[in-house]
Amino acid sequence: MSAKHTEFEAEALVHMDVLYGLALRFTGGDDATAQDLVQDTLLKAYRAWDRFEPGTNCRAWLTTILRNTFINDLRRRQARPAPVEYDEVAERSVYPQLHEEDAEGGFFDRIVDQEVIRAIEELPEDFRVPLVLADLEGIGYQEISELLEIPVGTVKSRLFRARRRLQQRLYRYAVEMGYIR
Amino acid sequence: MTHDEQPPGDVASPERGGTADELSCEEAARNVFEYLDGELPPDYSEKVHRHVEMCRRCYPYFNFERAFLDYVHDRGMRPARSAELEERLNRLLKEVEDREP
Repeated sequence: MSAKHTEFEAEALVHMDVLYGLALRFTGGDDATAQDLVQDTLLKAYRAWDRFEPGTNCRAWLTTILRNTFINDLRRRQARPAPVEYDEVAERSVYPQLHEEDAEGGFFDRIVDQEVIRAIEELPEDFRVPLVLADLEGIGYQEISELLEIPVGTVKSRLFRARRRLQQRLYRYAVEMGYIR
Repeated sequence: MTHDEQPPGDVASPERGGTADELSCEEAARNVFEYLDGELPPDYSEKVHRHVEMCRRCYPYFNFERAFLDYVHDRGMRPARSAELEERLNRLLKEVEDREP
């Protein structure tokens, strides 16, 4: 094995699970596409390895490549975007329904991880992608607007709706499981 | 439930602030995510902050939404493992390496 390969394995391949998790969130749980995305990301990184500065944040570099690869593909696919469905009911906070019973949102912690992951991955793509960028990756509205080529106002409203849908779904799940009444 | 007891978060329940300079609960609640995301202009963010700190309805509501966002971030970033992907990548990198001069 070459020195480059050994170095790449130690610095980059150790982040494969993080990249794959993020790829699954981006692609809505589509395993084959997520695997392709991670593969493309790591191949690009391997080819550009000379440009990676040792000691800098490799994970951040890799997630940037993954994000840009996904978004470039998204733009190609969304040349003619499908209309987004709006659901008024899903746009409210669940807080008014449970503020007397669980004002601190303790029920969230009782929901199993897999249910949260599924809830994120099953959001419609137009809502899911801004949510993954903002809430998982911590990217600001302006940058999301530039990445997705949509106005900042649209980023805000999609993010708002994504969060409300997710919250409503987790609330319904918690009620079904008897965590809250 | 009387109007005074209604929690914010339901934007259909407006509540006016005390003076013209103060925000209503409705306005504060409408900006909850932009405030928590640090996306409001500094002056306006300060105004929301002052309202929330002093408001017995908005304070727990904002904390609730903050707990929700923290929760989504913590759980959402969970890594995933695939032995198939690992194997595929190792094979591919070996091929790329073999082709390199």
